[in-house]
Amino acid sequence: MTSTSERNMIGTAGSEPLLVNRRTLLGAAASALVIPFVVISNPRRARAGGATQLDAYLQIDAENRATVFVGSCEMGQGTMTGLAQIVAEELQLDWSTIRVEHGVPVSGSANAYRNPKLNMHITGGSTAIWGWYAGLRDAAAIARGKLVAAGSAATGATLTVAGNGYLTDGARTYPYSDFVADAASLPASAPTWAASRNYIGKSRQRVDIPSKTDGSAIFGMDVRVPNMLYAAIIHCPTNGGKVQSAPSSASGAVAVVNLGDSVGVVAGSTYAAMSAARSLESSGRITWKLPTDLTRVDTAAINAKALSLSKSTTAKVFKEEEVGAPDSSYAASSRRLDLTYTTPNLAHACMEVLNCTADVRADSCELWVPTQAAEWCLGTAMAITGLAADRITVNTTFLGGGFGRKIEQDYVSQAVTLSKTVGRPVKLMWSREQDFRNDRYRPASAMRVRLGADASGAIKSFIFRNVSTSINVQRGSTPGNNPEDTGAVAGAANLPYAMQTRRVEFVHNDSDLPLGYWRSVGESYNTFAVESAIDEMAKLLGKDPMAYRKQLLAGDARAVAVLDALSTLSKWNARLPSGTARGMAFLKGFFSYAAAAVELKLVSGRVSLSKVYCAVDCGVAINPDSIRAQIEGGILHGMSAALWHEVTFTKGKAAVSNFDRYKMAKMADVPVISVQIVESGAEPGGIGELGVPCVAPAIANAHAKLATRRRNLPFYPGLGLGEIEDDEGGDDD
Amino acid sequence: MAKVNLNVNGSPVSVTVDSLDTPLLWALRDSLGLTGTKYGCGRELCGACAVLINGQKQLSCDVDVGEVAGSEIWTIEGLAADLASPNPKFPSYAEVRKAWIDNQVPQCGFCQSGMIIAAVSLLEGGKSGSAAAAAMDHLCVCGTYPRINKALRSIA
Repeated sequence: MTSTSERNMIGTAGSEPLLVNRRTLLGAAASALVIPFVVISNPRRARAGGATQLDAYLQIDAENRATVFVGSCEMGQGTMTGLAQIVAEELQLDWSTIRVEHGVPVSGSANAYRNPKLNMHITGGSTAIWGWYAGLRDAAAIARGKLVAAGSAATGATLTVAGNGYLTDGARTYPYSDFVADAASLPASAPTWAASRNYIGKSRQRVDIPSKTDGSAIFGMDVRVPNMLYAAIIHCPTNGGKVQSAPSSASGAVAVVNLGDSVGVVAGSTYAAMSAARSLESSGRITWKLPTDLTRVDTAAINAKALSLSKSTTAKVFKEEEVGAPDSSYAASSRRLDLTYTTPNLAHACMEVLNCTADVRADSCELWVPTQAAEWCLGTAMAITGLAADRITVNTTFLGGGFGRKIEQDYVSQAVTLSKTVGRPVKLMWSREQDFRNDRYRPASAMRVRLGADASGAIKSFIFRNVSTSINVQRGSTPGNNPEDTGAVAGAANLPYAMQTRRVEFVHNDSDLPLGYWRSVGESYNTFAVESAIDEMAKLLGKDPMAYRKQLLAGDARAVAVLDALSTLSKWNARLPSGTARGMAFLKGFFSYAAAAVELKLVSGRVSLSKVYCAVDCGVAINPDSIRAQIEGGILHGMSAALWHEVTFTKGKAAVSNFDRYKMAKMADVPVISVQIVESGAEPGGIGELGVPCVAPAIANAHAKLATRRRNLPFYPGLGLGEIEDDEGGDDD
Repeated sequence: MAKVNLNVNGSPVSVTVDSLDTPLLWALRDSLGLTGTKYGCGRELCGACAVLINGQKQLSCDVDVGEVAGSEIWTIEGLAADLASPNPKFPSYAEVRKAWIDNQVPQCGFCQSGMIIAAVSLLEGGKSGSAAAAAMDHLCVCGTYPRINKALRSIA
């Protein structure tokens, strides 16, 4: 039998070592049909297998094949490929045999997989390429220097990089594998970046894609370890409820474990665990201690409070940004708007539900987990097991979507506790219903925008207030005085628009629906308000929205270039057929720039997008095709959210528990999407979230030309609940 | 516990399940280790669990394992088992896989086994690539639809 670790290496198209193994595994013999237990390869084991680890990021095996270890996780953004391209550029690696794996965290600052600019081994905020670009190039350039030095010393010649993983003395070539052992012990010399452009800037095929077309990619859900049990989870049907009492056994279950705010049901298979959990939940044998104040987990009550706070003059205000005297400037402006926008709670709805496999033993703990925060998983396991960090191994699997949800530790902590309690490896998998009802939702926001301008359109005053529940306050920070509340005003603070005075405020709306980071976080709601308001001002001034933005962004060359590109791409000034309207929006965020335009018509009174155009400047474009893919996906994610998504709670009870009440765009809903990358040559910025925020305001801005101005998202609340709102009689003020 | 004789990916195999109404999805994933077939919603809403049963696409979260004893079941692993000599029952898989890679379709990839099963089923049913693209009705949260569309339209 081939090694299990080798099977799970991620090969590129063409090399396909895993496919060779798959043939063995799926051969003609009936018994071979049963795939053996699968273990994600990990460098601690791989190191013992004959390959040499040059540093934390690079391993070269005896056949001169390189494995790159990355500190950011692969959840579909193409991170593995992009980071490997950076390493490959410096070392001129053989791309046809390159493999990429997730790095395994060690404790503290010794963890080489901490994103250099975040100083954490996590993936979020579109920081993978932004944070790693310089640090990883340096590390790879140092590795090249060591290989050249070791090779030159060994051969007595002056070697240079020949390409495809070889050095040369001009006459003959030597594989890196000849020198990697010597190189590993050499000191680092100052790195010099390669001038070549063979990998960076090229649309290399993604290293993970072949395995995602044949069923071999291992997501967290697919992990199987020997002697494993399976677990399901039950949370209180009323969000925020805790376990008052739970039985210690249930029909069909090996164990029932009270986890405090949930109950774990452990059984011999996933189906047995889920069935036993369902029966137990409906039996009434678990009793729950409900939250004492159910208005704190009630959408209508929370949102009413938010609207009230948006107008309040006595609310405690956290001022993120203040320039000049915006109140008097507003009063003195000849053109004034005072507008309030609202956005709902959203679920992440990753295609892969939350899951984690844990094997806790007396002296060790190993996790296999689809996580955006491997380092935090290490901390979670240390806290629960009491083991030292070097006794704990956190293996990051592929993530079937993350979008910010899989940075959380709730499901990890449950799996570790369950394995520790039952004394066997446990794979915990949430049901889709548990996943929807117990998310860490995007905060619902009320956003009040006051915009004052003169007749020329110059903005005299911008006063913005976001009212939402602070994610950080829910996690223990103090409201109003912690810098992390900047997340709640991202997309409104530090706008590149010329504004003579400005103030950006945050007001914490204290409530208990558990909140978290949803793809593009603050920009996912504040950009809706800001970019809608800019359009509303353009209309008041009688200006074209594109021209008006160019006027306000004249001092930012990258912004203007993106707007110019969008203008050309979307044929902004060309006539549209009657009944079709254009709308646009702009974003500077995630260390990048984006501008999007939509072409919209109303079909039976409802929004139908025919085309979406997007121009992006994300600095050096490491992999242009991956960037286009992320923008396409971000646009569709933003479109589904703008039109259909919200999760509401009535006294803690969620209205959504599966996709039937959370409509996602399907093939028939998809517009033609055109993406243009504007090359500024700046340092690389983020792309994973960049495509999302502009879509909602662009749709609202187009819609306002054909019908009403919509200031409340989603466009079609209650869709799927059978209460379809009439568009024209909607929520316009 | 119950024992069921199945025919999976061209081979007879016996699986032990808790009961005959266990969804085929879990027999494939847990009993047989064929984890390419995914759990997404459990209610036939997303398509991640699609398999081919007697040549037809079915959502395995809603098929009792007891009902498919004797049926011919193919999963993504079976279609992909031997790329050198494509499965004569599903010759379109090789085209679909190539189109998926050429067009760099998957992002997170979780829904793609189901997407590919759906595409193969439509093509084997006689649909053209563009007709198959229009008929794809599975869910992809990453938003790979434009590339699925392009990939299928590249197939005659």
